[in-house]
Amino acid sequence: MSEPINANPTVLDVNALPTRGEDHKQEKALDSQVQELLSLAIDHGVDSDVQSQAPSLLSDSEEQEDPIDPQEIFDLIAHISDPEHPLTLGQLAVVNLSDIKVIDSGNRDEMGEVIIKITPTITHCSLATLIGLGIRVRLDRCLPVRFRITILLKEGSHQSENQVNKQLNDKERVAAACENDQLLNVISKMLATCK
Amino acid sequence: MSIRLVRSLEAHTDKVWSVSVHNRLPLLATASSDKSCKIYDLTNGELVATLDDTHKRSARSVAWKPTGQEPSLACGSFDSTISIWGKDYDEWSLLAVIEGHENEVKGVAWSKDGYFLASCSRDKSIWIWEADDDNEEFECISVLQEHSQDVKHVVWSQYEDLLASSSYDDTIRLWKEDDDDWSCVAQLTGHEGTVWCSDFEKSETSTRLVSGSDDCTVRVWQRTDANDSEETWELQAILPQCHKRAVYSVSWSPSGRIASVGSDGQLVVYEYQSDQWEITHVQKLSHGVYEANSVQWCKPYAADDDNGTTTAEWLITGGDDGNVNVWSIS
Repeated sequence: MSEPINANPTVLDVNALPTRGEDHKQEKALDSQVQELLSLAIDHGVDSDVQSQAPSLLSDSEEQEDPIDPQEIFDLIAHISDPEHPLTLGQLAVVNLSDIKVIDSGNRDEMGEVIIKITPTITHCSLATLIGLGIRVRLDRCLPVRFRITILLKEGSHQSENQVNKQLNDKERVAAACENDQLLNVISKMLATCK
Repeated sequence: MSIRLVRSLEAHTDKVWSVSVHNRLPLLATASSDKSCKIYDLTNGELVATLDDTHKRSARSVAWKPTGQEPSLACGSFDSTISIWGKDYDEWSLLAVIEGHENEVKGVAWSKDGYFLASCSRDKSIWIWEADDDNEEFECISVLQEHSQDVKHVVWSQYEDLLASSSYDDTIRLWKEDDDDWSCVAQLTGHEGTVWCSDFEKSETSTRLVSGSDDCTVRVWQRTDANDSEETWELQAILPQCHKRAVYSVSWSPSGRIASVGSDGQLVVYEYQSDQWEITHVQKLSHGVYEANSVQWCKPYAADDDNGTTTAEWLITGGDDGNVNVWSIS
């Protein structure tokens, strides 16, 4: 690309992006509790009764997974690179935690839904479709198959909002685009910065 | 009233986009993102042939030719070509590859007597091809370009040379031959999203069309007037709404039932009862948590199925799980 479409985008500090900081603290607290409990246990050998119960516990967890939440979706897509800046979609506030909606029971036998509204950095951004496609490919590869994914431009963020929305959510067009090696190469580069 | 899964065929390793049942023989054809078509025997569910090594990209649509001594079919692919396959001395072989479209071919359909093949594409055009009996020569006799966006699907009437096309431009158009040239005789507007598919009523006395769209609705349109160059079509009904996401495929059965499938994975059957359309069956998760892309009615091919009742019909569905499911409706 010779001339950037948006030469001066607003950039957010990576440290200011939403993370699951609170949860990590909780996990640590839990860890120390578990350690404490273990040290209290007298018999460290595994009881045979406990062992026979284990498989049934496992099969329960097969049906019921932890529901996916917006933070997980954000973490999957915030590190995608912008096609024209050496910055991520999170840093450019193209994707925002508050614009991600997830409907999920956690049951792997039920359909779930992810709705993401993206905000292009400028209203005539010709790369909006490519960014949307990159997000879709990322989620298609990472999310369980039960999820239907809808990607929309945030209201008023783009002059061809309806046109781009229609294209991004047309299953057949997306499938055909994903068979285009050149396009897939560009998307692979965008996804290379994902953690 | 019941809906029962007769058989599930693990046909493909990727999305099944399209299914087609032969009008006389118990043969089922499928088209998939894995670039192949498969043919199954509906009486026992056995794989008869795999048609591959031809298309470079997804096989998007498949259609049996209704005529000919031996069965033959057309397959439209995202690689912009159409392949024609036929059975010859017990072997399935590639008879022709038709080129012409600029990009992805999305739909193919044969006219009632096998004389015409129609194809449609993302290049916004519909091509009408004249076919010979041996399926070796295909001559393009018309290119129809009135749709303003991708043409998603084409289907012919079983009773006359009338073609319906569904498009990303949210409309349906009807086409027929007038004085050696093909022209648009009607445009149906009303859907508020891409029209993915349509199908004609199987009736000699009335001409109606059912359509399914991204707007989650299934609509029935009726022809109220027709001459050689113009037809009048009216929206007759919006069927009771059940789908929560895009409707990808609709099919009208010989007995008058309508079936629809879509992105929400539901298989829905409608019947016209006491002056209105009613939903008589809903099969949720017809392909597990995957989307269902294609549905077609056919007659039942298992003896133990209908318990002597004549209302039993089969439905074939294809989904993103790569499976083809056979359902009995009675």
